[in-house]
Amino acid sequence: MTASVSAADLAAQPGARRLASLRRVDLAGLVVTLATLLGAVFWAFPLYWGLVTTFKPEYEVVRPGIALWPEHFTFANYGHVLLETKIGLWYVNSLITSGAVTLIVVVMAAGAGYAISQLDFPLRRFFWWMILASFMVPIPALIVNHFILMSQFRLINTLAGVVGPQLIAPVTVIIYKQFFDSVPKDFREAAVIDGASDFQLLFRIYLPMNWGITTALAIITFIGAWNLFLWPFLAVSSEDMMNITVGITQVHDAFGVQYARDLAVAMLAALPVALVYLIFQRRVTQAIMLSAGIKG
Amino acid sequence: MSAEGATNGSAAGAAAPHVELRRVTKRYGAVTAITDLSLTVEKGSFTALLGPSGCGKSTLLRMIAGLEEITAGQCFIDNIDVTGTPPAKRRIAMVFQSYALYPHMTVRQNIAFSLSVAGQSKKVQNERALEVARILELEPYLDRRPAELSGGQRQRVAIGRALVRKPEVFLFDEPLSNLDAKLRVQMRVELAKLHAELGATMIYVTHDQTEAMTLADKIVVLDRGVISQVGSPLALYNAPLNKFVAAFIGSPGMNFLGVDITATNGRTASVILPGGRTAQIGVSAGASARSAELGVRPEHLTIVDPNDPQAAFAGKIAIIEHLGNSTILYVDTPAGQLIVEGEGDLDAKPGQAVGLRLSESHARLFGETGATL
Repeated sequence: MTASVSAADLAAQPGARRLASLRRVDLAGLVVTLATLLGAVFWAFPLYWGLVTTFKPEYEVVRPGIALWPEHFTFANYGHVLLETKIGLWYVNSLITSGAVTLIVVVMAAGAGYAISQLDFPLRRFFWWMILASFMVPIPALIVNHFILMSQFRLINTLAGVVGPQLIAPVTVIIYKQFFDSVPKDFREAAVIDGASDFQLLFRIYLPMNWGITTALAIITFIGAWNLFLWPFLAVSSEDMMNITVGITQVHDAFGVQYARDLAVAMLAALPVALVYLIFQRRVTQAIMLSAGIKG
Repeated sequence: MSAEGATNGSAAGAAAPHVELRRVTKRYGAVTAITDLSLTVEKGSFTALLGPSGCGKSTLLRMIAGLEEITAGQCFIDNIDVTGTPPAKRRIAMVFQSYALYPHMTVRQNIAFSLSVAGQSKKVQNERALEVARILELEPYLDRRPAELSGGQRQRVAIGRALVRKPEVFLFDEPLSNLDAKLRVQMRVELAKLHAELGATMIYVTHDQTEAMTLADKIVVLDRGVISQVGSPLALYNAPLNKFVAAFIGSPGMNFLGVDITATNGRTASVILPGGRTAQIGVSAGASARSAELGVRPEHLTIVDPNDPQAAFAGKIAIIEHLGNSTILYVDTPAGQLIVEGEGDLDAKPGQAVGLRLSESHARLFGETGATL
């Protein structure tokens, strides 16, 4: 609106002084803000496009041209996905496997981190180096081994088979070890004098004292497990055992790909993670910084 | 100076030994922290382990607690050999310098932690925590977390955590050094009161000789891993066995000056002081050194007229510190700068020429090895 008003017009008005003060506003800051905003738009547009497409009937989706808003607003795609597919089951599967991965990884990593940080046992250094070394091997490089191992355990096509290889989480152990290292030894000694066992030390002193780290690691592990595609895709072929991420690939019918439906199920798949992120934003950022710090 | 000899010099000997260390040695790799040390602590006593940092006093306490392994020797508590017993089973409680209060627990949970890990019921935990809180006047703070408490209150919670276990022996590892000066004095009094009320055996590590002097009925002075002297506060102050103890106890510290011994008659030695005057200083029988170090406390030097015939030194006042109840003077003399403690209302000025009279009966002579002659 104001773009049509020339600078000369403005200068003639009483508000000119205000404009002058506005001009003194940090120009560099303005440029950076605009650039960031532009970046955000670039980033967010596909999301918007995906979301808006889910409300379009399929014929509108495949029509040439760009329509930023559906002509005929419809919930039919969601209806189809929710009613005609096994999305409920996939959600449950995702929830079970991600929940199990999170719980086991956190407890195991805390235990391992505690042992390596606090206990004195033979081969402690060896195990520590093993963990550090395993963290340098990219997990997808081991995927064939994982598959063979799981199939030999007869765990292919089971939820346990989906969970198994995801329990390798050296970064979590390393982070715990480092945080436990920094707990002053007085706490440990005071508890030892009070008669606490190592389990009590871990679960009543060390874990609660590092509660922030635990929640951060739990959230980031959960999101990672929820979003994981490659391994669950390989480990499961039965539709009943699929995670939501793998389930998306099953949403097609005899007529071929239905873009709006695929996007609808993708939106539903991403929803829990988006919610978790929104609720625990600060913790997630913290966790990412932590693992980035370790990785860097 | 041997550990055995020092133990024999113990002031209180009548009561039964409650904690006993027998020929204890602690080595960390090639470094020896404690060398062949023996010590007994009587039941109900308040024993202070005193020494400069690195003398091994904390190590000694931690060995009694079971937090450090004993390389050689034995530790007895209540006549039971606990050398290999884990800390929790030694019936001791320890108060740490950092307090080590669990930040995520309330005062109540902190105090009851030992009961909780032992599987006591919530009811018992609450009752005992309340009981202890009452003794320590912590009742209003039971549901607060350590972060919401002042330094003194945290200190009391730490003591409460020890108290709730009803231990045989209380171990304190420099518990007051994190407090400010005023609070330290206040907590010192409270600790003394607590000891009087409970009558429990307490072993207290400190590098602060005032704390040791005021609280303890027995002080163990440690120097580089060996016991320098054991005795009551006044025994250490008035009859130090060696130069180390003489120098460590007392504030401001003892003055030391080199002297030549001209004659000894078995009970006293005639010495020539720097500046030419002579003095008669008490020695033990058989002392036969030619030269020695004379030690005299600041309060045993008196400011007199420079022409006083009885003055041991003539000098000039360099610095005056008025403390109100006393005056500390730094006097330049032929023997170097001497510290003199005078009356609070002493009228003197820097640069003023003065004489110093020496209270010969209070002075001590130390031989080449540092042992008192």
